[in-house]
Amino acid sequence: MRDLKHLIYFENLLQEANNELVQKAKAEGLRAIGYTCYFMPEVLLDLPGCFSVRLRAPNCASPDMATYYMSARVCHYGRSLLERALEGGYNFLDAQMATETCTVTCRFQEHLQQKNLDSVQDMRIIDNDDFFCEFSDVPFKNSENDYQYYYDQMKYHVLGKLHEKFGIDVSDKAIKAAIKQHNEVCKIINEIGDMRKLDNPPITGYEFHVIQLVSLVCPKKYILPYLKETLKELKTREPEEVNPFRCRVVLAGSENDDPEFTKLIEMCGAEVVCDRYCYGAVESRQPIVVEKGEDPLYAVVRHYLQTSNCPRFMPQDEMRQRKLRLANLAKEYNADGVIVASNKFCEYWSYERVADSFILQRDFGIPVCSIEKEYINTAVGQLRTRFQAFVESIEIKKIQEGK
Amino acid sequence: MDIKKALKDFWYGKPHGERRLGDLYLPKTGLYKHREWRGVKDTFYYFHHIWMYNYLHMVMDVMKYGGLINFAKGIWRYRWVGQTYLPVLHWFDRGLEGMRGEALRASAWHYRAMVNATIYQFMTMFNADTKIRGGKKNDAWYHTFAHNETVWGGIFYGWSDKFKNVSMEMIPYFVTCHVNSHTVHNYIDAVQSIGLPGDPCPMCQAESGLFVLDDVPDYSPLVITCNEACDASVSTSILQDWFADKPLFSLAMPMQFDDPLVHKYVEKDIEKCWKFIEDQTGVPMNYELMCKCIERQNELQKFEWEKWEVAAKTDSYPINGVAQALYRIYQSQFGDLPIWHDTDAKVRPIMEKCVAQKINTFPKTRHRVLAWSCAPLYYSNWCTWAYNCWGLNVIMNMDSLMFDMTIRTDSYENTLEDIATYHMWAPMRRMAVGGMKHIFELWENMERFNCDMVAMYDQLQCKGVQGVHGLFEDEFRRRNVPAFWMPHALPDSRTVSRAELRRGINDFMSTIMHEEPLDPSLLELDDDMTW
Amino acid sequence: MKKLFKFAGIGAIAYVALFCVYFFDLDGKFFFYIYEPFFKNHYDNMARRDMTQMPYDMDKYPAYKYDEV
Repeated sequence: MRDLKHLIYFENLLQEANNELVQKAKAEGLRAIGYTCYFMPEVLLDLPGCFSVRLRAPNCASPDMATYYMSARVCHYGRSLLERALEGGYNFLDAQMATETCTVTCRFQEHLQQKNLDSVQDMRIIDNDDFFCEFSDVPFKNSENDYQYYYDQMKYHVLGKLHEKFGIDVSDKAIKAAIKQHNEVCKIINEIGDMRKLDNPPITGYEFHVIQLVSLVCPKKYILPYLKETLKELKTREPEEVNPFRCRVVLAGSENDDPEFTKLIEMCGAEVVCDRYCYGAVESRQPIVVEKGEDPLYAVVRHYLQTSNCPRFMPQDEMRQRKLRLANLAKEYNADGVIVASNKFCEYWSYERVADSFILQRDFGIPVCSIEKEYINTAVGQLRTRFQAFVESIEIKKIQEGK
Repeated sequence: MDIKKALKDFWYGKPHGERRLGDLYLPKTGLYKHREWRGVKDTFYYFHHIWMYNYLHMVMDVMKYGGLINFAKGIWRYRWVGQTYLPVLHWFDRGLEGMRGEALRASAWHYRAMVNATIYQFMTMFNADTKIRGGKKNDAWYHTFAHNETVWGGIFYGWSDKFKNVSMEMIPYFVTCHVNSHTVHNYIDAVQSIGLPGDPCPMCQAESGLFVLDDVPDYSPLVITCNEACDASVSTSILQDWFADKPLFSLAMPMQFDDPLVHKYVEKDIEKCWKFIEDQTGVPMNYELMCKCIERQNELQKFEWEKWEVAAKTDSYPINGVAQALYRIYQSQFGDLPIWHDTDAKVRPIMEKCVAQKINTFPKTRHRVLAWSCAPLYYSNWCTWAYNCWGLNVIMNMDSLMFDMTIRTDSYENTLEDIATYHMWAPMRRMAVGGMKHIFELWENMERFNCDMVAMYDQLQCKGVQGVHGLFEDEFRRRNVPAFWMPHALPDSRTVSRAELRRGINDFMSTIMHEEPLDPSLLELDDDMTW
Repeated sequence: MKKLFKFAGIGAIAYVALFCVYFFDLDGKFFFYIYEPFFKNHYDNMARRDMTQMPYDMDKYPAYKYDEV
């Protein structure tokens, strides 16, 4: 396939959090708002006057300083973020909108926060006088009570603080404008994503991963033109005559912002056709629907609680249904198997992965490759062996089924 | 031979520095060549009022709560009770080593209470268990609630006249780790054998492993679970739901519990939980009954505060570190039971006597220690060792300080509000989540309990504590607070052995504090295979 | 009277025996060397259900939302 025109540009944008487009937006006076978790609605941080940056720590293979503060026994992602922060990589942030949705990212964000306590000295990691870190509480369920609670949290801790500290317009009109922009990004990403349902898609999983990530870490208004152009280009892009991949897989699991990981899977012969992981597109790029007469903030909170597939959600029906949803995705994308990957030390996904690996195979007949990975994979040999074996097992299955 | 000295030692027991308690052990096993001679009075007190009394009551309690047949069936069916029940007196021995006088008496009553509450719970399970009845459901099965151990028992007070509630893990996991740490290894290994990595919290691993090995009695038509205390507890529900396969309600406790916005939310979720129970059982919650139980529980809390006051302000607190910690967490998490009141009634005169007569209950105390974070369950009696060996007197534990409140019963709204707060202040949670300010309440509690040293538990698989490791190091240095770290893996004695824990403390005391041991025979022990 | 002495004698012997059990930790030794290995062997060899074969029906249980509360 011909190279995508902007792929190298996109790859470069992913080399550091304070990328070219972030700098451009900052120079224009926009406020950069960091976040880590899906449950911090990206759309609320993209209100006019500010923009969201989902934090990553690319190329952070050895978080030594952060290991002093957080020990070597917590998730590499949280530690890498702290390392990058200690290195000054997030000094461009004007605020961090934090959630206590998983322990380690919570502790990372608490390190950033100026707590003004007598009991522990603040570190002033983010060298920016305007910087503040505000925590919101996120429910574990999705009933009306949870929507209302989440609504109150977002109204007070996110909209209230953005308005109070930076004078951001948080009116319904502004939220609707942000939703409109958000939906535009979603539409493009989904159109690109739908191409992966084809037998011989004009885009690889790696390329899609890169495109999805830039949509998360760059100011929307600056990345949109590039995304539009890429979509247009993809519509006429000719795939390889013969699909070079040996099978198709859904990639599910915990936090994953490393396109090299997707590339590794694809180099082993498995085409990643759907991303249902934290930072993936399945949840985060669903358009937000505001019902007629509905408070747009309510529509936002309802959307985020209804669309999440995070194993943090614990109502009984939800715990079970998300396995069904994953199986349905495999069917929808015509995948031959599912790779469930959890970051080492991620407690949510460690358990979910166990259940997925039994239930998807047993009840839905979907082959599962269950692996544990680091945030930045330096030791790829073992994973490569696992993926190659998985691809071979799928091929054998196909032969046995006469496909 | 000094006959006079020998007679004195026989009558009163040897003084602290001469006891050489370490010489009493048989190699590796933790068994005694012979139990300690504590002087005539205390030896026979131990023999009559602790050893014989508790063995006898272990039989009587079994008879009282369900009978020998149910008990025998349970013993035969479940490893966690079979391997653990009878060595229980050794658990007393380990926790009460070297204790004398009022400290021995008061601490032992706390142990007795825990044994009674344990028997009550496992017999309640066995009375209703279909697994020891060929799958048949009896009336007790329909009248027992199963819940996660982090769900406070008081949630069910409103049904306590018709239903019983027992946590699924409190006895099979939590209590057994203290009594016989061997059993829990099976459960941890079992859950890892189906693909769970070894790094999540081992408590949650063990809780899930119980289900993997089909070792949780089937005693209830429903399950109430909860997101407390941490991410792994949330995730444990995934496997528990699968393996229990019963109607399950997840009680959601907000993380940022100081936030004024959380209250309305959590109160509603508690009401939803009650509605779930009402729907499943057809029996409405009885608010009047709930209030009566809460008022009884408040009495327990008030006495707990009195105990804390004595611990903080005097040298006459007669309860040792391990008895205090275990009793407190057990009682406050389970909720009201008659045995807690009986125990408090026995402990009160002992404590009042100590205060009135200014008895120094731990006379060899060199440092008053505050133990912070979560304790190693397989070595909760380390503080008894630390006092005997180094004179380190653990005055208070972090997890004893949760639930630091009484609950109002003057109106439904106030009761509900306080229940919500109480639940959010659960063990391993009150200080560990909801902002760093909570975990750093260490300093104010050092002051409150007049402590001069910190035992910093370092649960290697607890992400919340690991995530603030460096800041604690910085603060200890900045404040010049003597603190020793105790790395451990909660129930799993294979990760950090007891000997390694002791070695860390020995090194700290000799190298940093430049102190000599009170009992050098306790410095190096080989108790690798002990319960 | 003789009976009384007999009972007292038996009682005294039982008491001394019990004290010996207590003092020499014979209960602990019995549980450690005999009782626990026996039961451990029993539990290790028990037939157990393979819990991973438990059904996992996706819609067996309703959503307990209770929005009306």
